[in-house]
Amino acid sequence: MSDIAMGSRRLLSPAMRSALGVFARYGTIIGLLGMIVVFSLLSPRAFPTLGNFTNVLNQASLAMIIAGGLTLAVIVGELDLSIGFAASLHGILVTGLIVHDKLPIPLAVALVIALGALIGLVNGFIVTKIKVNSVIATLGVGTILTGLAFAYSAGVPIVAGVPEAFLQLSLGRWLFGIPNNIIVMALVLGALWLLVERTSIGQEIQAVGGNAAAARLAGINVDRIKMLGFVISGMCAALTGILLASRLGSGTASAADSYLLTAFAAVFLGSATLRDGEFHVLGTFVGALIIAFGFNGLSIFGAPTFSQYVFQGAILIVAVGLASLGRTLAER
Amino acid sequence: MTEEAAYQTDGTTGVQRASPFLVARNIRKSFGGAQALKDASLSIVPGEVHGLVGANGAGKSTFIRILAGLNHPDAGSIEIDGHPVAINTPHQATEFGMSFIHQELAFVPGMTVLQNIMLGVPKKSRFGLNDWNAMARDVAPLARRVGITAPLNASVKGLSTAENWLINICRALVRRARLIVMDEPTASLTAAEAERLFAIIRDLSASGVAVLYISHRLDEILDLCSRVTVFRDGCSVAELAGESLTRPALVEAIVGGAVTEGAKHCASPEKGDVLLRVDGLARAPKVRSVSFDLHRGEVLGIGGLVGAGRSELARLLFGADRPDAGTMLLEGKPFAPGSPAAAVRAGLGLVPEERRAEGLVLSKSVAFNLGLANLEKLTLSRWLPLLSARARTSFAAEAIKALAVKTASIETPVGRLSGGNQQKVVIGRWLARNPKVLILDEPTRGVDIGARAEIHRLIRQLAASGMAVLVISSEPDELPDLCDRVLVMAEGRIVRELSGPAVSRKAIVEASYADPAPGLLMEGHPA
Repeated sequence: MSDIAMGSRRLLSPAMRSALGVFARYGTIIGLLGMIVVFSLLSPRAFPTLGNFTNVLNQASLAMIIAGGLTLAVIVGELDLSIGFAASLHGILVTGLIVHDKLPIPLAVALVIALGALIGLVNGFIVTKIKVNSVIATLGVGTILTGLAFAYSAGVPIVAGVPEAFLQLSLGRWLFGIPNNIIVMALVLGALWLLVERTSIGQEIQAVGGNAAAARLAGINVDRIKMLGFVISGMCAALTGILLASRLGSGTASAADSYLLTAFAAVFLGSATLRDGEFHVLGTFVGALIIAFGFNGLSIFGAPTFSQYVFQGAILIVAVGLASLGRTLAER
Repeated sequence: MTEEAAYQTDGTTGVQRASPFLVARNIRKSFGGAQALKDASLSIVPGEVHGLVGANGAGKSTFIRILAGLNHPDAGSIEIDGHPVAINTPHQATEFGMSFIHQELAFVPGMTVLQNIMLGVPKKSRFGLNDWNAMARDVAPLARRVGITAPLNASVKGLSTAENWLINICRALVRRARLIVMDEPTASLTAAEAERLFAIIRDLSASGVAVLYISHRLDEILDLCSRVTVFRDGCSVAELAGESLTRPALVEAIVGGAVTEGAKHCASPEKGDVLLRVDGLARAPKVRSVSFDLHRGEVLGIGGLVGAGRSELARLLFGADRPDAGTMLLEGKPFAPGSPAAAVRAGLGLVPEERRAEGLVLSKSVAFNLGLANLEKLTLSRWLPLLSARARTSFAAEAIKALAVKTASIETPVGRLSGGNQQKVVIGRWLARNPKVLILDEPTRGVDIGARAEIHRLIRQLAASGMAVLVISSEPDELPDLCDRVLVMAEGRIVRELSGPAVSRKAIVEASYADPAPGLLMEGHPA
């Protein structure tokens, strides 16, 4: 009893608490800038160049698109674990449609994006109407999609006969020589940001995620909004799958699976950015940047590949953990 | 230490006087820019029932959270048994002998009564396993003492609010609490259940356990408490006891001079035509068969005991649940809303009973919550659903002004507002839509006197403007104060209709008990 009675009155002084509150919101951005500064000092010739930054952003664009879609799913309060597997299927499918079925590229791309929307609709239907937990529903759907991808390709990557025009989708440059990937990513994230933050549907999306019961009694069609979240997530997964197939110049049945983890890391890093544990599109962008610059820095210093995974896992736990801790302590 | 040790003989008078169990002095606490507590002091002696009253936003909740170790004071001191202490965690608060029972009772739903009571303080057998038999033996007499009728091995799921309170009291006794803090204990209890609770509180008090009793119901406070501390604007402004503890003194201390209690109901206006006709509406098991007409421009009350099926009826009207049977006509046309969204489109609004759980997105701003049912008003145009920042700001500012919502700004998270102001935000959301029918479920539960009067005035204004208003309330005085006509429900049916001069507190209570529900808790039916 006595040790409790003699314990400190408050854990932290008010100044310390407000500092922690700031850290909880801006910690990830401070970390990102710090990382850039450190890498620039350590490798002044290779790292802080326009070419390298463009390269990092170009590399990160695909992850940013799929993570942007996932952000919508998590804002409405659900998880979408099917996106990585879906993107793999989309990649092999778009390649197959172009190479084997000789479809025009725009048509093939449109079909695959429509399929992405359909997969989102299926996910949304299972979650909202059949009321299966979204982790289970999307994991199940994702597993089925993996099966379909292997069935479609018979396990053999589609490599031969990929037309140059399709490769140019991802590898090409436009407007002042900005890589297409970056342009697509900027358009997608910009549109998503606008949708969530500046439209009436976005208000409904945020309300559903914040308190579904209250949203429903305020006259919002909660199921439809959740479906929308899944559909957007599915479409973004399709776009990432297509761009990845274009970049690799081939369709492989599990090429995009690892994007699932990167997307989740970016989204949760984003929830610790600028806002108190809320998911938002700008946060996801910052989260994906942190991961991308971290990978880039590590590879410039010749760190082995496995260290990238260690970095991604560790940075996620550290950033989200510190932000959460900061909020808790600042509140008390 | 024993209870006796806390008592000392006052040398000068020879009278037994207890030295305080808890003394809190000059507590100060701010959140961000908002000063929740400026200078709050309070002392509690063993075995007393101490009242804590104050308008919503006066700082009661923050004070309790500090005692519970959930918040830490910026300044001030807390002593227990004369020793200065720091309460850093809820666990420490328990160690100090304090137990807290909140409005929103927290249980693990899948566990039994006994498991919930013993949560965190299990008794182990020799082999390190939980010894449920020994625990049941220990708990049984305590359960009998507080009057828990449910078997200890029953699941807590589906138990009534009243029984939940008893379980929480039992939980406090198991932890040998010397002070039990009760926050609005009777807010969702029936009159009979409340009486039973009062008996238990007196029994606790007689055995030396102090109770800090927080309530807006001054009758209860006057009835139960020997001393009352009044909070106003973050300060303890009065401590009343003995002769000075009177209703007028309490009201004056709470409001701070300007007394606005009980603006009396004016003459009922001409009844308009039938706006909503409900015929044989039913959804088993809570709503059996309900028929009534709701007229334009009237305030129709629905009274009855908690559990009579009133909130469930509101959910049926609002399309939140589907009826098993029955029909509705809205303005003469068939009305069968498949969802709340459909009901809203048809011109209904609902202010739900649980405003925090069902009414508001607590983490979002006041403007966000006000806008939720009015998004089409806030967009640039119908075809371009982009939000207009200017429309949003002026809309929120207007609503805040019209309803006199006390908030630092329209961007303040609504969760930081006091209960009365939160309720105004939920009501304000619907006002802007100008619905034909507005349903308010317990509109002033946990709301202070001032805000209550304002909400009542607002309801009358709405009816006068031609809206049909349906008010569900368990507050004994609310319906007579507010309504032209009252339907009393019991067991899922309307058992009586009162109108005009026949609407009185006594008549409503009598009708509620006209068909007593068998096996109701606290009616003296041992399990």
